[in-house]
Amino acid sequence: MTFKALLIDAYRQLSAAKLFWLTLGLSLIVVLAFGSISFNETGMSIFYGLGTIESDMIHEGSPWARGLYVGIYSNFLVTIWLSWIATVLALISTCTIFPEFVKSGAIELTLSKPISRIKLFFMKYVVSLLFVLLQVLVFCVGIFICVGLRIGEWNWAIFGAVPIVTIFYSYLFAVCVLVGMITRSGIASLLITGVFWMLLWTAQTAELALNRFSVGERVTIESFEQSVLEQEEELNALREKSPDDFRIENRQKRIDDMKEDIASAKDTFDKLIVWHEPVRIALIFLPKTGQTIGLLDRWLKDDSGFDIQAMMRGDMRSVEELEEFDSTTRFARKREASKRIHDDYSTRSLWYVVGTSLLFEGVILGLSAWFFCRRDF
Amino acid sequence: MAVIDIHGVEKTYKGKIHALRGVSLEVHDGEIFGLLGPNGAGKSTLVKILMTVINASKVSGTFLGHPIGHRPSLKKVGYLPEHHKFPQYLTAIQVLQFYGALSKVPKPIRTKRAYALLERLGLTGWEKKKVSTFSKGMRQRLGIAIALINDPDVVVLDEPTDGVDPVGRREIRDLLAELKTEGKAVFLNSHLLSELEMVCDRVAIMVKGQMTMQGTIDELTRESTRFEINVKGEVPDWAEQTFDDVRGTTLVKHGDDTSQLQSLIDQLRATNVTISSIEPKRESLEDLFMRAVDYIDNPGSVR
Repeated sequence: MTFKALLIDAYRQLSAAKLFWLTLGLSLIVVLAFGSISFNETGMSIFYGLGTIESDMIHEGSPWARGLYVGIYSNFLVTIWLSWIATVLALISTCTIFPEFVKSGAIELTLSKPISRIKLFFMKYVVSLLFVLLQVLVFCVGIFICVGLRIGEWNWAIFGAVPIVTIFYSYLFAVCVLVGMITRSGIASLLITGVFWMLLWTAQTAELALNRFSVGERVTIESFEQSVLEQEEELNALREKSPDDFRIENRQKRIDDMKEDIASAKDTFDKLIVWHEPVRIALIFLPKTGQTIGLLDRWLKDDSGFDIQAMMRGDMRSVEELEEFDSTTRFARKREASKRIHDDYSTRSLWYVVGTSLLFEGVILGLSAWFFCRRDF
Repeated sequence: MAVIDIHGVEKTYKGKIHALRGVSLEVHDGEIFGLLGPNGAGKSTLVKILMTVINASKVSGTFLGHPIGHRPSLKKVGYLPEHHKFPQYLTAIQVLQFYGALSKVPKPIRTKRAYALLERLGLTGWEKKKVSTFSKGMRQRLGIAIALINDPDVVVLDEPTDGVDPVGRREIRDLLAELKTEGKAVFLNSHLLSELEMVCDRVAIMVKGQMTMQGTIDELTRESTRFEINVKGEVPDWAEQTFDDVRGTTLVKHGDDTSQLQSLIDQLRATNVTISSIEPKRESLEDLFMRAVDYIDNPGSVR
């Protein structure tokens, strides 16, 4: 009964806020823009037929059309709209919930009811996530209909964004609640949560960049070492066959250059590891916002490989099949590093991505609850 | 039976400010109990401790038969905080529904009760209006309705007539009397002495975190019961010995013994003293209050 009452109250509080309807209206515009993309036999059209793009690869019925359309949703609409813009609007809307809740004059009446403080705190926290839950749910319904109508795929995995974005938002909201509980100020909650979010984003971006560089160096080392072995074998064979062959000198020079490159890559790799490891370890204990949102892409990806991520990595199967290239070229190494990075992040367990993040959230909420239970109002 | 029976309540804020220093009091069922005290006396702190809003540094005793802080017993307690702020986005009915649900009142009962309470408190026609449109007096009435939504055994009202017009005050007083006849205990916290004097069965006066007086108004003012005889002309010499006090042409005799008064009147008339008036006097609650405040400030003064 208490939870239902708090839930209804939370809905009434949110629906009384103009920002709630503004965010919902903006979501509708985004959905309409998404729905304006359609495919025909010769390519695709945008803005309900105002513009057309002809393509042999992306057209009605092609696997790339599906990859592009679903990919726009999971990689842009969720990643940019839901997890950035809508989240900022949600934080602005909800940052005052707890400061208002514990405000003098309001809290006395609530605390005088036959419900324990800890229960009250957690119920209030859960119902406060309603803003995001409702926004994302309505958004997903729109996207679900668009995807169904445009590519004929009634993909329920689209609704995966509802728990994912809500969980992602809850990491930030937990911090907002703690600050709100201590300062009783909505503005302070918003500002400090914003700073925390930016620091988190910086740390994650730094980790990704350092990881990308170190994996790149590792790929260079491995591919060059492999190549050196092969070249040395060929060189030995050449020496046995014709010791005066003019190619021996060139090949030896090439091997020496490669060894120099390996030494240089190892040196860079060692330097990068010194920076990467502490950041990586620190992130284990912090919420993984980017990777949590990335989970949706895992659930929506096409097993046959026709997805937008593959397009962005240059990992389209048709290209791969055509290629038989030297693995030591810059392009090949970059592509291999990109694949490894993608595999690294996309195979991290749900426990690592969500579990450790929820653990962080639990600690922050535990602190807030402790503060709430002990405080005199 | 005592619905509130607390002893030695202490509250120290941040280890420095002693808000309550060993407060004890009893409130019985079916009575209206008034807690008086100047600003900063610790009245609201005491009420908040009872309502579990503040944790006491030390407390023993019971509230509705359970230790202080026992949450389930709050189901039968109604509370109106002093500076309340109800959710502005809710209508009067929604506010009552919300707090009724938090008090675990089943929906059909609380809906029926909510409308009845709004009618009882003169808010008919305002059921579906947003709280933000209410005047201060109306919000106060709504607050009382909230305190009664769970049909409590004990109603704790912190400054219930604050911001209410004289007509409204009278209605609230009548309501308190009705609650008393229904067998509910009413704990009033107010600084409006005249209001309390009119409705309270018993009062307690708190000053600087200490309980200085407690009892019925009759018990507390009995000591001050006296007759004041105003005379014309010169006061006879013997009056100084016979009367308890002589203030100019006013002769004061403590107590309420009228037979003794008759003989004093006869004595005065026998010595040709003209009596202009005889007034039975008793301390008002305000006098009592001022005396209590004065006692705390000057502990050696007469109580």
